[in-house]
Amino acid sequence: MADNELTMKLDGKDVPFTQGETIFDIAQRNDVFIPTLCFDPRLKPFGSCRMCAVEVKGIKNPVASCTTAATAGMEVNTVTEVLEKHRKTLLEMVVSENRELEVSPLRGVASQELSILVEKYGAKTGRFKGAQSGHSRLDDKNPFILRDYDLCISCYRCVRVCAEQEGDYAISVMNRGFHTQITTEFNLELRSSACTFCGQCVQTCPTGALADKKALRHA
Amino acid sequence: MEQVIDQETIDLLLIEQLQDSPAPLLKILHAFHERDGYISETALRAVSKSMGVPLADLFGTVTFYHHFSQQENGFNKPRVCTGPVCRLNGGQECLSALAEQGATSMPCAGRCDEPVPVLIGNEQWVGDAQGKLTRKSTPLPPVNPGKIEECVFAQIREPERGTLPGYRRTGGYEGLTRAVKEMTPKDVIEHIKASKLAGRGGAAFPTGVKWQAVADAPGEPKSIVCNADEGEPGCFKDRAIMDYDPFAVIEGMTLAGYATGAARGIIYLRYEYPETNLLLEKAIADAYAANLLGKNILGSNFNFELYVRRGGGAYICGEEGSLLNSLEGKHPFPRNRPPFPVTHGFENLPTAVNNVETLAAAAQIMRHEPEWYTKLGLNGHAGTKVVSLSGDVQRPGNYEVPFGLPLKTLLYDWAGGPKPGRTFQAVTMAGLSGGFLAGEDLETATIDEPSIRSKGSMLGAAGMIVLDDSRDMIAVTHNAMEFFAHESCGKCFPCRLGTQRLTERLSGEGPMQLQVWLEEVNDMNAAMKSFSACGLGMAAPLVIESLIKQFPARVQEFVEKR
Ligand SMILES: Cc1cc2nc3c(=O)[nH]c(=O)nc-3n(C[C@H](O)[C@H](O)[C@H](O)COP(=O)(O)O)c2cc1C
Ligand code: SF4
Ligand code: SF4
Ligand code: FES
Ligand code: FES
Repeated sequence: MADNELTMKLDGKDVPFTQGETIFDIAQRNDVFIPTLCFDPRLKPFGSCRMCAVEVKGIKNPVASCTTAATAGMEVNTVTEVLEKHRKTLLEMVVSENRELEVSPLRGVASQELSILVEKYGAKTGRFKGAQSGHSRLDDKNPFILRDYDLCISCYRCVRVCAEQEGDYAISVMNRGFHTQITTEFNLELRSSACTFCGQCVQTCPTGALADKKALRHA
Repeated sequence: MEQVIDQETIDLLLIEQLQDSPAPLLKILHAFHERDGYISETALRAVSKSMGVPLADLFGTVTFYHHFSQQENGFNKPRVCTGPVCRLNGGQECLSALAEQGATSMPCAGRCDEPVPVLIGNEQWVGDAQGKLTRKSTPLPPVNPGKIEECVFAQIREPERGTLPGYRRTGGYEGLTRAVKEMTPKDVIEHIKASKLAGRGGAAFPTGVKWQAVADAPGEPKSIVCNADEGEPGCFKDRAIMDYDPFAVIEGMTLAGYATGAARGIIYLRYEYPETNLLLEKAIADAYAANLLGKNILGSNFNFELYVRRGGGAYICGEEGSLLNSLEGKHPFPRNRPPFPVTHGFENLPTAVNNVETLAAAAQIMRHEPEWYTKLGLNGHAGTKVVSLSGDVQRPGNYEVPFGLPLKTLLYDWAGGPKPGRTFQAVTMAGLSGGFLAGEDLETATIDEPSIRSKGSMLGAAGMIVLDDSRDMIAVTHNAMEFFAHESCGKCFPCRLGTQRLTERLSGEGPMQLQVWLEEVNDMNAAMKSFSACGLGMAAPLVIESLIKQFPARVQEFVEKR
């Protein structure tokens, strides 16, 4: 073992890490499960869903493990009663903004992410009832991508994959707060935007709000 | 041959003119907004093309700002404040009265001491419930009723303080001259540290420590950013400082530049203060002309350039990460921390973000010994704080109080107590972000962070809205939560969803049984407080928490008797 090896405490266990690694990276390497919704390993960490928040000794509020780089000697707890309770509350809040939770797996490879987490946490659907967010664009006549934003949870993975992986910058976020909505330039249809129909956004969407129209036809 | 210049060429030329200075996007958007009366599709296409910003991003970002209109002639339509104080003073009625002119509402526009502010284009008006509009200047802070020595307001009431000759006649630029001629940057930082000046924008971070961190951080050019976004409802102190003492802010920023080695400064001013914008631009021009900005300031080898950038209407842009993104032309979501602005600020370079009041205080402190400032506070607290006091009180206004002053001294002795026949019911803290104090706490609190925190609230930027016994606290709380929902940026889940669901629960929706209602609200509050990504979502629950704690019977009646 090199003298200058960095270590931190993860759930009570000493683990080595390299400079710049996030708490989430280290947890993954050590097979410690941390729930996520806005995370996609191909994208820059964004820190919006807050599901991955963990407790760090000496810091008052939990920190997002996906955006926080580990430091030597840091003591992290990934599972505590309080964290698990907040994660469950958060999932119940997320479910409350959508039309439905269960969608066909044919919608896309990541489309079951939210429903799997909800099940795992025993999160109650029907709590926190209120207005729904996001408006589906079923009027978008392109033959490839279904834009069913009634199911959108505003994780912006689609926007980020379009920019970071494809360099297309076809979609973005409009408005603020609960009224945020995935959009194109001037809210036009995808065919009138810079979209190349690569389908990356469909494959990263964790709720099935974006779906592969062709695949669904075979359902 | 006749030469015809097409619209696109004209647009591109306008952009080109503005493109070279720092943080150009906001300036360019304002230029089109004002020239065309709205931000047109054509304008956005031109901006996207010449600045290389993807059109979808630019479009999305423009929709983020409340005041940028994408409807023809939208710029000139009246915007009427319907913030928490204006609601008590005919704001809604004024809005209805101006409906025919296409008026829309805006959140607190920073004139709660003399409502109701109405913005028409770049003119600031004051309206009444009948929709009658008058031109009035910003109220001057009342003479200190406690006869207590002031810092920030010490000269603000001097005639012509807002002009350069008037400013210099009343001690202005003594501090900077002393710093540049007699002290090293390190000495200046030590001086500010010793004064115990801390941030007045809400977080109370020690100013000298912040400046030190910027001075020590690698990377050039460094920047000083003055946070003049003042979006917190019930806060109107920065406006008074900038309108009556603009050179104090400029001197404070220049001083910060000298101390940290920053070569440039930017004032980020909220959209709602266009006339302040003009005053600042004029003051900056005068300072340049007198060699108090620019190259070789006061004959030294210190250079400092200063710019003003006006926001587009977004409370979250007062949060420093969001502010920096806004300046850089990015979508104004807050940034993940760490890294902090002191190392990775404007354009990813070391930056000191400081509030208006902090910088104005620093300029004064440099004229004195640090102990002068420290000793202005009471009972071991260092220094002073400007409190913006508004609502149901005899004499609202900006009061500079020594830290540690009993709250009731301010409320009764200084501001004259409740209106005739009324009693105080509650007083909000930190604008709306601290929730409110009520009952016994109003008697025992002193105006300092430890005292107010011990009561489950916070002092923050010290906006205080007084609510008397005629007010319905459910309506007040609902209105506050509506504000947070309106201003939530939409990045992080707990705040984006929580502010919406709490607003719904305060508007009469949600579970009918008290216990279930409380469980939902308490669970959301707890998740928001510990999981939100920035101060907005962390603080938003405080107002509903104080409602539940201080007015449980009213909550029960509200939930069960629907
Ligand atoms: C939601 C939110 C809004 C804020 N608005 C302001 C503001 O309008 N003005 C301000 O000076 N600071 C504001 N702040 C605090 C800034 O992030 C930052 O702490 C401050 O400008 C630093 O300057 P100071 O150290 O001089 O106080 C806000 C913070 C949050 C979380
Ligand atoms: S469409 Fe899907 S990927 Fe895009 S923001 Fe919504 S939930 Fe996330
Ligand atoms: S707490 Fe609210 S305002 Fe702050 S990042 Fe989250 S959504 Fe945005
Ligand atoms: S996975 Fe870390 S915040 Fe979403
Ligand atoms: S100016 Fe209207 S509430 Fe502050």
